Amino acid sequence: MSGFRSGRILILGVFALLVLGGFAVGNPTILSADNVSSMAVFAVELGIIAFGQGLVIEGGDGAIDLSVGAISGLAQILTALFITHGLPWPVGIGIGILSGAAMGGCNAAAIARFRIPPIIATLGTMFAFTGLALIASEGNTIDLTAAPARFLAAGQGSVLGVPFQILCVYLPLLGVLVLVQHRSRFGRALYLAGTNATAAWLAGIHVKRLRAATYVLSGALSGLAGVIAAARLGTATPDGVPEANLISIAIVVLGGASIFGGDGSPVGTAIATIAIAVVNYGLNYNDFNPTLQAGMMGLILVLVVLVENLVRGHLPRLIAAARNRRKMA
Amino acid sequence: MNRLELRGIVKSFGGVRALKGVDAVIAAGRTLVLLGENGAGKSTLIKTLTGAVRPDEGEILIDGTPVVLRDPMHARALGITAVYQEPMIFPHLSVLENIFAGCEITDRFGRVQTEAMLRAVRPWLSSLDLAESLLHRPMADLGLGHQQLVLIAQALVQGARVIVFDEPTAILSRAETDRLVGIIHRLRDDGRAIVYITHRLEEVPRLGDHVTVLTDGRVTGDYAASEVTEDLLLRLMMGKRHDAGPEREAIRPSAAAGASSAPPVLSIRGLSHSRHFHDVDWDASGGRITGIYGLVGAGRSEVAMTVFGALRAASGRILLDGREIMPRSPAEAMALGIGYLPEDRKKQGIFAPMGLESNLTCTGLSRLSHGGWLLNFPAMLTETQAIMRRFAIKADTPGTAIGTLSGGNQQKGLFARWAGQTLRVLILDEPTRGIDLATKAEIHGFIRQLAQAGTAIVVITSDLAELMAVSQDVIVMRQGRVVDRFRGTAVTAERVLASAIGAATSSQEHAA
Amino acid sequence: MKSSALNLGPAAPALHGPRRVPVAWRALLARRETALLGVIVLVVTAVSLGAHGGFWTRVNLDGLMVTCAITAVPAAGMTLVILTGGIDASIGSMLGLVSAIGGLLFVAGWPVAAVVPVFLLAGAALGWINGLIILCGRVPPIVCTLGTLSIFRMGVFLMMGSEWITALPPGLTRFFVADHLGPLPGAAVIALVIMAALAAFLRVHRTGRRLFAIGNNEEAARLVGIPVRRLRWMTYTILGACVGLGALMRLGQSPIVQTTTGSGFELGVIAAVVLGGTELSGGRGGMFGTFLGTLVVGLVGDAIVLMHIQPFWSGVVLGSIILASVGLNEGRRARQVVS
Repeated sequence: MSGFRSGRILILGVFALLVLGGFAVGNPTILSADNVSSMAVFAVELGIIAFGQGLVIEGGDGAIDLSVGAISGLAQILTALFITHGLPWPVGIGIGILSGAAMGGCNAAAIARFRIPPIIATLGTMFAFTGLALIASEGNTIDLTAAPARFLAAGQGSVLGVPFQILCVYLPLLGVLVLVQHRSRFGRALYLAGTNATAAWLAGIHVKRLRAATYVLSGALSGLAGVIAAARLGTATPDGVPEANLISIAIVVLGGASIFGGDGSPVGTAIATIAIAVVNYGLNYNDFNPTLQAGMMGLILVLVVLVENLVRGHLPRLIAAARNRRKMA
Repeated sequence: MNRLELRGIVKSFGGVRALKGVDAVIAAGRTLVLLGENGAGKSTLIKTLTGAVRPDEGEILIDGTPVVLRDPMHARALGITAVYQEPMIFPHLSVLENIFAGCEITDRFGRVQTEAMLRAVRPWLSSLDLAESLLHRPMADLGLGHQQLVLIAQALVQGARVIVFDEPTAILSRAETDRLVGIIHRLRDDGRAIVYITHRLEEVPRLGDHVTVLTDGRVTGDYAASEVTEDLLLRLMMGKRHDAGPEREAIRPSAAAGASSAPPVLSIRGLSHSRHFHDVDWDASGGRITGIYGLVGAGRSEVAMTVFGALRAASGRILLDGREIMPRSPAEAMALGIGYLPEDRKKQGIFAPMGLESNLTCTGLSRLSHGGWLLNFPAMLTETQAIMRRFAIKADTPGTAIGTLSGGNQQKGLFARWAGQTLRVLILDEPTRGIDLATKAEIHGFIRQLAQAGTAIVVITSDLAELMAVSQDVIVMRQGRVVDRFRGTAVTAERVLASAIGAATSSQEHAA
Repeated sequence: MKSSALNLGPAAPALHGPRRVPVAWRALLARRETALLGVIVLVVTAVSLGAHGGFWTRVNLDGLMVTCAITAVPAAGMTLVILTGGIDASIGSMLGLVSAIGGLLFVAGWPVAAVVPVFLLAGAALGWINGLIILCGRVPPIVCTLGTLSIFRMGVFLMMGSEWITALPPGLTRFFVADHLGPLPGAAVIALVIMAALAAFLRVHRTGRRLFAIGNNEEAARLVGIPVRRLRWMTYTILGACVGLGALMRLGQSPIVQTTTGSGFELGVIAAVVLGGTELSGGRGGMFGTFLGTLVVGLVGDAIVLMHIQPFWSGVVLGSIILASVGLNEGRRARQVVS
């Protein structure tokens, strides 16, 4: 069904609280205002990328975007290069977002026009964008501490005591996406296409155009996330947002979307982002190595899909079979 | 001796009883024709025979011994094989590999023994009219008729003793049909038991030794093929709800009169497609219902999909109100005022897990949104409720998932998608396939209402009774070509059927 | 039938082109293998001219062959997986984890003869786990293996911390790199043998043919009694064992295990298979294509080093080659659907 499942959101909320509680027992300082705020800003970048991934996956037929991390890296590097070469910072930010959209456009063209399976297409562009980011940056990180303060404020500033990117980027974005996915014609058409592409096409919906648009949006959002990460850290790295592919897919699936499309909601994605961010930050705070953090993300992803499949598919069938057997006997 | 016997087979799907106690006897060296309309339970019965579906009640006996068929593999091991209408094939494997898929001949290291497989299949080739050179070609290179023969060969090399044919001739040309009939006779004379499933009366005397009529999941008749007449079979197939009368009558003159002189709303001239149809002319007038009859695979749906922008023609013209159009997508066709109700409800029609509201409004999203992009929920809800009332769609709420409704209610929902639009042309592809007779009649009523409102309606159907019941003008297609057309009163069921199966040779206009 | 003729968008023209007359030379040109040979000739020519004789040296050719062999063995396994419609993105971490397990056993003083089978078995076990999740848990292959990619990497970290293992038996290097059979280093010989064996398996063995059948039409394969789940599971397990062998050969080439060992390895392997023309949707492709694909991937990397191009270009070049080759192929196939 389109829309989010309130049950799933409740479970995620409880899960996040439990994890947070667990970490807090071990190390109460995690709940300090500073820490909660840095957990939140960390979550923003992944959350934005997950929004884009969510749109792509909802488009259906195994659509997936494996290039989100690479796009965030190249967009970040381009933004940093433009700013360090003296262009005004708004132009730099614009470059980051637009280049992301353009890279998404490459994915869209490869998939919709040349009919390359999404996995292969985005794997190919992932290679290419990462390579280009390394070439453009000559393999180094680019220092942005000397960038205009207003640019850095995009990742470090705060408004009314709340980090800038949450109040002025993430929450408005969430609002817009809720509007787009649940209230707009585009969102409805996307759900329809993700549920049954043939029926949607025969009902006058431009399925290919819709899917292409999701890749462009995903690219633009990844670019935006890359820019914010660069501003937050004061450096741009060709790697972009670390583990973005894995974590964005994990967030989307955890948020209640079906990996087969036609399902999902930005609200679910947002709550799943919080849950993932709590886990990630908690591990980080307790000095877990990034490799371990990524491993935990992988574990969460596999377990969630596994449990979901068992609950949705196997168990009802097993129960039905048992019932039949009883009836027969 | 009875090779296969069915006793009191009952099968329900989600509360709907598809089979209500079916008995049938199939003897070795005999052909049993199972005759029934669409939705009479034929496909469920085949699935039961081949182990794909397990009956709720009743028993299956092979050579007098009761068996429980666990799955298609098990049935096959016991000698029961089905040849389906649309063959299940491995397109990129060779014909030989298709024949031996799953039961390859190998040496003790598991190496496939091509020579041995060739030897094993060779004796069957001549009786199937298959050339040996075909065996090494990829399966995808073969036409459907040959693919069916390959699957028969598969059944034979596996030692099938009961072969079930599921409407095999529906997609075959006349020559292919003749060849297949000959092969079936040879198989029968060889001592195999044949079950031949069809809804085509005319095949009974050619094929059957025995005919069993299935109506609404029940056996309503059981005769030696030599005893029956077409009239009797028709009556049995229709069941008690219809008498055979309307099928044989000409169309109501009141409906046929007058309008035939008006210029057609939709004209198709010389439309051709590289694969599906050739040089097709259709005319459909406003306020009238044009029936398109033909067997599955005659190219009817493909022409409709071309008009609707879902397929691209190689040549020819489509005229709407005299103006030439060539829509490149369904969206463009809809903007021109063309609607199309697709044939395959599940695959092309419904969004199963989504609510009725989403399903009913999906063709009118631009109309039902503010400024073309922000959905107007109150209007969508009002429209959904209005549609549900008008078409008597039985569901708890507008949010009920359409996939949970009965087939008839789903179909009414799909129909209603278009009924709310302002259309010049509405093409309905098998609008009542697989639904109960009451709903069928209801939908026919809606179709007439729409036509009276001035829309040009095209009804594509393989159901002769439906064709005769709703259409005023009739176009008959066979193998991608228009073979006959009738305007007004001159249409009779025999004539239409004869044209569709290629019994009649003429192709002239029959005017009122 | 009908649904395959139906297409989902404005790109329809490709589907409705005129029927093509098959011409022998055109068919030959259209073959993926021909195109790959062309690319190979092109790269070899360019690198011969551009690398000032650096290409045709013993050292470079040996290094290239060993590198190709290390990709080729897992790529052979990956071909089986992709042929049946699957994919495995986890093999980079799998290679790391197998190397860590084997490396620690070497450090613990196990004899080489005992550890070598461990490499293969550990790889097979990890592949088996992927198969378990994908086929019993019904998790889509890409989701499962993206997950296990990071899970296996976590395993490497848990075993190794930030230590390095360098105390590896020198026999590995001797066997895989230094010893030659004719012009071929040991690793290349082994890779050729394995590819030939799997190619023969795919061509003449019942199970190999059944893998093609599954990739062609999984539903039909199930109906004729082919044990689809077991065979697909088997492909992941075989791939795992191949990765184990690849790990062993890699330790011969560069005798060190660290936390990052094998990261990114999966990309080159998948690239080689996809370049080789095995279709992601399954059912078509084969080992010879994968062999050529491996050569292309290896040559591109080698050329970039020899021609003093920034190594970052390798990703761009490889990515572009993948997109171009698959894109051209899909376009061509879309036209064929008509005729």
